[in-house]
Amino acid sequence: MADLPHEDRSGELHPAILLVDMDSFFASVEVRDDPTLRGKAVLVGGDGGRGVVASCTYEARKFGIHSAMPMVTAKRLCPDAIVLPGKISRYAEVSRELKEILLDHSPLVEPLGLDEAFVDVTGATSLLGSPLTIARSIERRIHDDLRLNCGIGVGPSKLVAKLASRDAKPTINAGKIKPGPGVFVVLQDEVREYLNQFPVRALYGVGPATAKTLGRLGIEHVKELAEMAPDVLAIHVGHHHAATLIGLARGEDPRVVVADVASKSIGHEETYATDIVVREELEGRLRRLSLSVANALRSADRRGRTISIKVKYSDFSMVSRAHTMVSGIDDPEAILAVGTALLGTLEIDQGVRLLGVSTSNLEDSSTPVQLQLDVGSNSTEDLKAQAAWLQLERATLDDAVDEIRARFGHNILGAASMLERTGLVIPEQRSQPFGPPAVDSDSEES
Amino acid sequence: MKFRSERDSLVEALATTSRAVSTRLAMPVLSGVLVQVEGNQLTATGTDGDLSIRVTLEVIGIEDGTAVIPARLATDITKSLEPGAVTVEANNEQVEISAARSQFSLRSYPSLEFPSVSITNEITAHVPAGVLADGLRQVVRASSNDDARPLLTGVLLTAVTGTVRLVATDSYRLALRDLDGAAGVVGDEDILVPARALSELQRLINPGDEGTVGVTTTPSEITFHVGAVAISTRLIAGTYPDYRQLIPESYPNALHLGKETLVAALRRVRLLVKDNTTPVRLSMRSGGVDLKVTSQEVGEGSESVDGDYQGEDLTIAFNPAYLIDGIEAVAGDEVIIESSDATRPATIRSAEADNYRYLLMPVRVS
Repeated sequence: MADLPHEDRSGELHPAILLVDMDSFFASVEVRDDPTLRGKAVLVGGDGGRGVVASCTYEARKFGIHSAMPMVTAKRLCPDAIVLPGKISRYAEVSRELKEILLDHSPLVEPLGLDEAFVDVTGATSLLGSPLTIARSIERRIHDDLRLNCGIGVGPSKLVAKLASRDAKPTINAGKIKPGPGVFVVLQDEVREYLNQFPVRALYGVGPATAKTLGRLGIEHVKELAEMAPDVLAIHVGHHHAATLIGLARGEDPRVVVADVASKSIGHEETYATDIVVREELEGRLRRLSLSVANALRSADRRGRTISIKVKYSDFSMVSRAHTMVSGIDDPEAILAVGTALLGTLEIDQGVRLLGVSTSNLEDSSTPVQLQLDVGSNSTEDLKAQAAWLQLERATLDDAVDEIRARFGHNILGAASMLERTGLVIPEQRSQPFGPPAVDSDSEES
Repeated sequence: MKFRSERDSLVEALATTSRAVSTRLAMPVLSGVLVQVEGNQLTATGTDGDLSIRVTLEVIGIEDGTAVIPARLATDITKSLEPGAVTVEANNEQVEISAARSQFSLRSYPSLEFPSVSITNEITAHVPAGVLADGLRQVVRASSNDDARPLLTGVLLTAVTGTVRLVATDSYRLALRDLDGAAGVVGDEDILVPARALSELQRLINPGDEGTVGVTTTPSEITFHVGAVAISTRLIAGTYPDYRQLIPESYPNALHLGKETLVAALRRVRLLVKDNTTPVRLSMRSGGVDLKVTSQEVGEGSESVDGDYQGEDLTIAFNPAYLIDGIEAVAGDEVIIESSDATRPATIRSAEADNYRYLLMPVRVS
């Protein structure tokens, strides 16, 4: 819409919100770090049977590959593609540099994952110029300092900024990469018309179920939704939801940019090459996950009060279960005890393709801990009560293990169950982020 | 069924029985109170399947019969009527409540669906009401309300040298009290009574009361008779943790303090506690104790309380609410806090009476 070089009306935006989205972030970092990859189809993601593409270069997109596509499909579309397992710690490092650049323009930076962030520049305009000027400055800094590209959407709300960022990015047309404008601005008086073109699914809060309900009412596009009478829609989705949906369709998005909240959860999940149907095996996986989550919590000096597990079945249906403790835990055995209790409430007969353990309701590890009398919690059948006990009993042990690992190396000490052919491997939260590597079928048992 | 009753006594009967009624159950009939009239005697019964409360009341009986009336609603309506006579009449699926110029017609539940609640009238032991009330006040609050730990939601009744001991713990603290004159309540087998039933019993008796509470125990139930009210509850099955091994045999440190002064000081510093994780630190030293609460967002407060201390200087932190609970429950004017170190249980007891002990685990602070 209005990215006219002659007339910059972006100063009229109030608030003025930017969504900075990096172009194929993981893949671009790989290409930047290894120039021999330049111009090639590069895929970052899990290469195992269940791996998916986490990020891919525009060269790969020319073959119709996109992120979240199964790796198997992607490799069929482009057999010559270079597949990389991904280095999350490296991307996190670059992400921190990105955040520094954004913070130079406004203190109100809200990251969404590693490669995107909302920036509210409303208060920065008197110092740094119009929102468009600020966006251009960010774009230039990312290009010059990080040697990476991005697309920036500018609008009066998070919803609009997010949608506009896609219009700022390069597109693939007839097998050719067409560069995008880099920055795309939607002004307040253009919002309604701009939103009208999108399918309802483009609005956040419209999931598959809501989209289906709306579809039955003949509402496919935002335009139709915006014109809907709230009372009529309320019959189908309830009053509260109806008002929210119609508001969004009319460009009313009350969400504000919240500057860097401390991370709200720490978790780890794994997708398995083949479905797991044996409970003992799944519990073994749970043990590894619990250990990696515990290590991540401890290195962040946090303890989690809520422990949740997530299970995705072979048919992609997903369930999760959670339990909240009186006080936070960061001991692997304690997390495992809660996880096992939660897992015990779920059927696994149909096969589990993904298992995740997550902790939320995080508290500082210096939070005082109410000690407990030994009233048999350690011998109880109730694993959740046992968890609280394990946490208290093992605190000193955990501290000692941390200290030894800090001095002699991460894989120096661990439970015998973590022993692999190659030696002791203590799972880490960011190892194998996109699933296990491909295994040659004949070497698996060797 | 039809009867007439004075408003206030009917309200009391309905409100008391309603306390056993749970609205969260799958069986709708259990949200009702069973009312039976025989001659001039009315019997009201409420139950949730585990806990049952029965009240008998003299009324002017007009027609014998039974009805199950919605507990909360009938109580609220009766309570709000003009003072004076109330007439209740049940027919078919309705119950009419009328008084002066008010007239209510409520849907009732089928009496046949109400579970049979047999509360025994036989009494096997008597306990002085005042002593029991005092013991319950000291002990019941230390029980757990975590349903995941069913054993700890009960209060243990156990026979010790000619009397009965009450024990409760939520694993953070443990309270025990020996009751005088309560022999015969428990035999060789310990029994575990749901704290919820004892809280209901607590509402009916007070520490100064004279008279007795009648008790009947069977292998699976216990019933308490207080005047016209009977509270019966299913016992909790299972083996209670061996509480004796939790109590240290001796302590190297002992602090003697005036109870009222200490409680008042704790209440003042507790004003800074914002959540239940903020502890109060007790620095015990020759000549007394310094109390301190530090709350990151709010600020800090400290108090000194004079007393007599024997032992090494020691700083130990406690949950202030649990600490106040234990000290308040102590009889007499002087309280003794015994301790060994900052991570092991401390004991709070009276300097005068040795029938009560409160064991409290510290809060570990880094």
